[in-house]
Amino acid sequence: MSDLRPHAERNQEPAADADGVPLQGPEGGGPARKSISKSQFQIAMEQFRKHHIAAVGLWILGFLYLLTAFAGFVAPYGINEYRTRPSASFQPPTKVHWIDPDTGRLTRPFIFDVTQKRDPVTFQRVYVEDTSTTYPIRFFVRRPNHEYTILGLFTSDLKLFGVDDPARVFLWGTNNLGKDVFSRVLYGGQVSLTIGILAVWVSLFLGLLFGGLAGFYGGWVDEFVMRLIEVLSAIPGLFLLVVLASLLQDPRNPLAQAFGLQMNSAQTFLMIVVVLGFVGWGGLARTIRSLIFSIREMDYAQAAKALGAGEGRILWRHLLPATASYVIVDLTLTIPGFILTETGLSFIGLGPSEVDTASWGMLLKDATDRGISIQFVPWLLIPGVPIFLAVLCWNLVGDGLRDAMDPRKRQ
Amino acid sequence: MFAYIVRRFFNLIPTFVGATLLAFLITQLVPGDFLSQRALEPNVRAETIERLRVQFGLDQPWPVQYVRWMGSLLQGDLGMSFSSNQPVANLIRAPIQNSMVLVVMSLIFLYALAIPLGVFSAVRQYSTADQVVSAVSYFGLAIPNFFFALILILGIFMLRTFTRETFGYNRLILPVAQMTSSGFSDWPWYRQWWDIFVHALMPSFVVATAGIAGFTRVLRAQMIEYLSSDFIRTAKAKGLGQRSVTYKHALRPAIIPFVAGIGGILPVLIGGAGLVEIVVSWPGITPTLLAAIGRQDIYVVLGLVVVSTLLLMIGNLISDLLLAVVDPRIRYN
Repeated sequence: MSDLRPHAERNQEPAADADGVPLQGPEGGGPARKSISKSQFQIAMEQFRKHHIAAVGLWILGFLYLLTAFAGFVAPYGINEYRTRPSASFQPPTKVHWIDPDTGRLTRPFIFDVTQKRDPVTFQRVYVEDTSTTYPIRFFVRRPNHEYTILGLFTSDLKLFGVDDPARVFLWGTNNLGKDVFSRVLYGGQVSLTIGILAVWVSLFLGLLFGGLAGFYGGWVDEFVMRLIEVLSAIPGLFLLVVLASLLQDPRNPLAQAFGLQMNSAQTFLMIVVVLGFVGWGGLARTIRSLIFSIREMDYAQAAKALGAGEGRILWRHLLPATASYVIVDLTLTIPGFILTETGLSFIGLGPSEVDTASWGMLLKDATDRGISIQFVPWLLIPGVPIFLAVLCWNLVGDGLRDAMDPRKRQ
Repeated sequence: MFAYIVRRFFNLIPTFVGATLLAFLITQLVPGDFLSQRALEPNVRAETIERLRVQFGLDQPWPVQYVRWMGSLLQGDLGMSFSSNQPVANLIRAPIQNSMVLVVMSLIFLYALAIPLGVFSAVRQYSTADQVVSAVSYFGLAIPNFFFALILILGIFMLRTFTRETFGYNRLILPVAQMTSSGFSDWPWYRQWWDIFVHALMPSFVVATAGIAGFTRVLRAQMIEYLSSDFIRTAKAKGLGQRSVTYKHALRPAIIPFVAGIGGILPVLIGGAGLVEIVVSWPGITPTLLAAIGRQDIYVVLGLVVVSTLLLMIGNLISDLLLAVVDPRIRYN
């Protein structure tokens, strides 16, 4: 009963939106009407909005996704763009200057070109600024012959910012080949941020299918599914992932041959999605199974059965929708796990192909290549920060959703 | 209790057979075999390849290979490695022991840090310290452990630069790579143990971070729930001290999901250790596994998977038994 009280109280007040304006009827124009009741979903959304930390997480996530969707526009250089002469290998982040050297006044941001030198004592590569010419950072520049496509829809060569040749602006430094880390982090997000969301659908499908069947039929079906999950979870997840990922990247693998795949980078990407989802569905299936066990006995499910509804209809229309709130929370909290796993796989070189994609884990791998000492190239660790941020925000959003859906935690 | 252990043990058998069968099937899906790589070498004759294929049993269909392999597994024989022509058991013993050093040490870190932190923040709920612990545990859950390991390595290097410039002390406070120092084999055993312990400190802490963060949050929530329950009020009314109430009455039930959770945390630790092993060049399971996959040395791959699966199952069993000790409500009969 206690969880009903706040709900009832809220309904006593006249419904009004955030500005205190009485809500209009659905057609608009009609007289102000009291809302009779709210759906579970509406209540949860209201609760979620009151959860400030989760809302901040959602905003940051939105920003990250927007940034990576428009990576081609924001990134000054291409994903694999580098120059051999002069080489920019392991160039530290470019210093952006604001003070005009001649007048000493604040000016528009500019950079200096750098030249590579060897430290005579340590033989370390050092980059020295050539202060003779300034290169102002220009905004909304065009780079002919460097077209990019956004979301597969528009093609353009307009860049958010850039500098005139021959200077290069590397906000977060470069890797061993002289590729711009900043641009690669933006492009890398396209893989690392979407793979979790896609893999969750695979898990959802398998979890609903097996969890639903096990919970609904019970008996030997349940026994079989539970055994299957037990077997899957008995093998350490990382090992299963590593073996599957390395197997599926071989173009001669049976799955690729069955569907005539060449295992190009898009197909490898999808394979990783499937592997992640395949390894991760067990927990969800268990949750759904136990929920269905209890919901199956509820009056409305029994009533549907008494009215002669078929098994499929009961399962699909009555039982599975009742698990929705748990499933949404579970899935939201699974996504960060998948993001971590994908970056881990890419980190050991088993992620999406390196030829024309980047992923945050793959970028971090640059920092561990043979013969590299991190202390001299600390900027190569920057790609870890967005992984951390994305996982943190997904966790915050998931926790916020869980609290919002939990009637005991309503404010 | 004894009957329960025996029953649990027999229950493990179908799971074990299923897991080995799954692992075996997956390795069979890999196109070609170890010898098809060898066949590409110009100085190897086709007859040699055929002879080796028969010798290793690779000419048989996979069910036969599986039954043979399972049969020898039951006699404690994990088969022969194709590439190095040694028993698999010899090859994988050292990596598994090395990984277990990391896993056991991170378990110790996990319990030694998570329990006091969880109790502390539950007792001082909503205080600044509690909020700091909550925030830090969110960070701990979100940071990928290979990234955290890289940051710690960078930090240790930067600390050396600092101590060199201020005190002229030019050594790392902790080793950042490998499992042993040079000259290890000449040392007496106690110095060897100490050396491994020092090398394991940083990686095992990193492996434990996500677990510490997760457990701290769970324990805090559990403790808060129990501290506000009726039996705690009764205990306080009887005049028991705060200390006794917290540790004897609230902590004991709150800790139950922890003990039951060992089974769940072990695969996370083993998997998490894998990536950290690669970062710090720890000669553990995962580097060996990756190398064996690259060579298609399937019995080494299977050996590693089987032994870690067994370790997991034993860990689960132990956590169930511990649960019976901690939770008097559970009776096994």
